[in-house]
Amino acid sequence: MACLILKHFVHEMSFASVIVENALRVAEENGAKKVKSVTVVVGELLLINPDQLEFCYQVASQGTILENSRIEIEVAKADISCVNCGKKYSQPIYLCEDCGGFVSVKGGKEMILKKIEIENRDGG
Amino acid sequence: MHKIEISAEIDLLSENKRLAEKNREFLAKNGIRAINIMGAIGSGKTLLIEKTVDSLREYKFGVILGDVICRADYERVKKHDVKVEPINTGKECHLDAHLISHVIEGFDDVDVILIENVGNLVCPVDFDLGEDFRVVMVSVTEGDDVVEKHPEIFRLADVIIINKISLADAVEADVEKMVRDAKRVNGRALILKTDLKKDIGFDEWLDFVRRVVQK
Repeated sequence: MACLILKHFVHEMSFASVIVENALRVAEENGAKKVKSVTVVVGELLLINPDQLEFCYQVASQGTILENSRIEIEVAKADISCVNCGKKYSQPIYLCEDCGGFVSVKGGKEMILKKIEIENRDGG
Repeated sequence: MHKIEISAEIDLLSENKRLAEKNREFLAKNGIRAINIMGAIGSGKTLLIEKTVDSLREYKFGVILGDVICRADYERVKKHDVKVEPINTGKECHLDAHLISHVIEGFDDVDVILIENVGNLVCPVDFDLGEDFRVVMVSVTEGDDVVEKHPEIFRLADVIIINKISLADAVEADVEKMVRDAKRVNGRALILKTDLKKDIGFDEWLDFVRRVVQK
């Protein structure tokens, strides 16, 4: 059981590390003294658990100017359509509910660092 | 002290995509086929690799073994007289394009690279390695609902292998249900029913490898 939890947990950890790495770069480029919040867009088909991502973000940001900042997670809906009848879905689905056809996935797998809110150096 | 909002709009997955494309270019340039084998722990991934390199001696194989700690698998595969590199992923639950890029540089003289991904059906899905083909392997002992519980990894597979079918009765698994579930989420994948320890279905797998390597 612990092993199962660990496996899913580290999935979020690797995403959190990428978020921290990129947010730090943007913060430093803009002369930030402290980061107040970071906003990310996460496609729901990435199967990310927001609570775990938030926890991992807190761990990964320790000891940096991101420490104690807030992470805002916006979930991007899936953009799925049936290849047979063309019906569109915004929920994760693997077969068309109307005709049983296969579906193609266009959106819902992205992860975007949207914005960060910083406090810059005095006078900056 | 000023508070400032900075718009970033950075695609956080683009770095892996970029490196995967670089891997793909390297493989194409050297005429190498790469097969990414994913699946649960104990589904038979390592045995599939061992039997494949033994059976297709006409090809030169490179094997990449990814695991949290992969010493045991490395020792197993090394005995088969094949080029093999372990990648200990540590805390990571999947291989990524960056980890692979260092290893394939040393595999420029092989015909086929078999990559054993870290054993689970969730995390490897979203990390393109630059491979040519994706194989997902499960066994009946994982329960006959394993396909319907992890549709995303099966949706993106080129080959779906359902292994250990001789044990289906003992574990009360319905193999045909697993095949039906696989076909429902992925109409284009090649679906193989195998029992590697009894050589059931293994020839069909070898046919697939021969077909794609000769392309």
